[in-house]
Amino acid sequence: MSSSIKVARYHLVYPFLLVLAPWAVLALVFVINLIPTVIQGGPNPTKALASIFAFMAFAGVLTIIRSLPFALALGASRRSFYLGTVTLVVALAVVYGLAIAGLQALERATGGWGVSMYFFQPQYILTGAWYLTWLTSFVCLVLLFLYGTWFGLVQQRWDTIGLIVFVFGQVVVALVAIFIIGGNHDWHGVGHFFTTITAAGLTGLLAAFAAALCAGGFALIRGVTV
Amino acid sequence: MTPAISLTGVSRRYRDQLALDGIDLVIDGPSITGLLGRNGAGKTTLLRIIAAHEFASAGRIAVLGADPVENDAVLARIAFVREDQAFPQFRVRHALEAASSFFPNWDAELAGELAADFELPMNRWVSKLSRGMRSALSVVIGLAARAEVTLFDEPYAGLDAVARGVFYDRLLADYAEHPRVVMLSSHLIDEVSGLLERVVMLDRGRIVLDAAADEVRGAFTRVSGAAEAVEEFVAGRAVLERRRIASQEAAVVAGGLDDGDRPWAQELRVSLEPLSLQQVLIHTSAHAGRQRKEGTSA
Repeated sequence: MSSSIKVARYHLVYPFLLVLAPWAVLALVFVINLIPTVIQGGPNPTKALASIFAFMAFAGVLTIIRSLPFALALGASRRSFYLGTVTLVVALAVVYGLAIAGLQALERATGGWGVSMYFFQPQYILTGAWYLTWLTSFVCLVLLFLYGTWFGLVQQRWDTIGLIVFVFGQVVVALVAIFIIGGNHDWHGVGHFFTTITAAGLTGLLAAFAAALCAGGFALIRGVTV
Repeated sequence: MTPAISLTGVSRRYRDQLALDGIDLVIDGPSITGLLGRNGAGKTTLLRIIAAHEFASAGRIAVLGADPVENDAVLARIAFVREDQAFPQFRVRHALEAASSFFPNWDAELAGELAADFELPMNRWVSKLSRGMRSALSVVIGLAARAEVTLFDEPYAGLDAVARGVFYDRLLADYAEHPRVVMLSSHLIDEVSGLLERVVMLDRGRIVLDAAADEVRGAFTRVSGAAEAVEEFVAGRAVLERRRIASQEAAVVAGGLDDGDRPWAQELRVSLEPLSLQQVLIHTSAHAGRQRKEGTSA
């Protein structure tokens, strides 16, 4: 058995972080949104589906902080850990994307669970055909997980100071982007881009970003010490 | 024969601090080696580098004939048990199950016996274990892994005397049946001294002593008695330390004693006492410190 497969199995020995917790969080958030909708009546278009994507980022952080050190103590290499982890998350995200697409179809079929609550149909994104919902969900789940691993990797490699620089760097990049766009009066163009791009096109952009994060994470983990 | 562990000129620098300074060390085959030294001597850094958890700044490392860094074939044959091991959200049984899938020589029966010996609750979350219980879990994994190279870094943190006794007994028993390379860093030097076949002492990142444990035990002797008699006895020997109170003196001499030394000591009415490993460490560290000072002031 290859070391990467051992790592994937290692994550599933007790699949709390990557399997149980994301869906438990989503179920809890669903109920929290459902109760007021039932009491006050719909329609209630909610964006709370974001909770599962946000949790995947959190899972990415914990995977590096908590799971990596023990895996290395058991004789996994950093490369095997990364490849095994990413492969598992990609496989899980395929299934999770299908589940989200299925739940969305069910939501549509039941008129928003009978109370006009649109939990799995957030506005702007995930509004197309089922396969686009699946593809976009899949890409976003992987992307957010990889983004989370970056926080863990930076923390492990450069400690808290590195983490502060990493966060501050992203804020600076965002501010510079806002400054440039504002200076050129280009907000209309940005709005036009996001309102005209197709779901498949946006998913492609996010996939490219995920691929870049994945490649960068692979390079980062090779220098991590525990 | 390819050495199990071979380090050549290994150094590790953290900014302005040199944690390891030109370490040369070869461990050929099965043995239990004690890695001894004061806090900050570099013991943990050295073990982490051998296990590829840390990178050397300079030098060459070979474990089982190859560089262990990112080498799955070598890493699968190394078990590294460390004092501050972090665990995922696992129960005890999950940690053992995970370990069983990584180590090719894993002995599940031994793991079960050890867990019972240490009274480890299999269903308890690792995060809820006491420090001692967590150390016991690490020890169980380190022993049951039966890895060809097993590294224990202060493995008994928080373990009580009974549990430490279980660890020492089990280590010796399993080593006798399945000889392998074991490196054990420890502060409880006299407690582990009976286990050790070889002693490597570190001081400020350098090896200051590397010898068979039996040689070290007989290599230093405390000579005490009337000052004049002690001076007469130690004349011409390498004296590491002298302490004089009024007319009494105690001196530590290096080098073994010969057959004529004991009758002569009796005649002079001086007592001879071999130094324990812990005392050897104290004197060796002090000696290294004095040499550093002399080197700095020269």
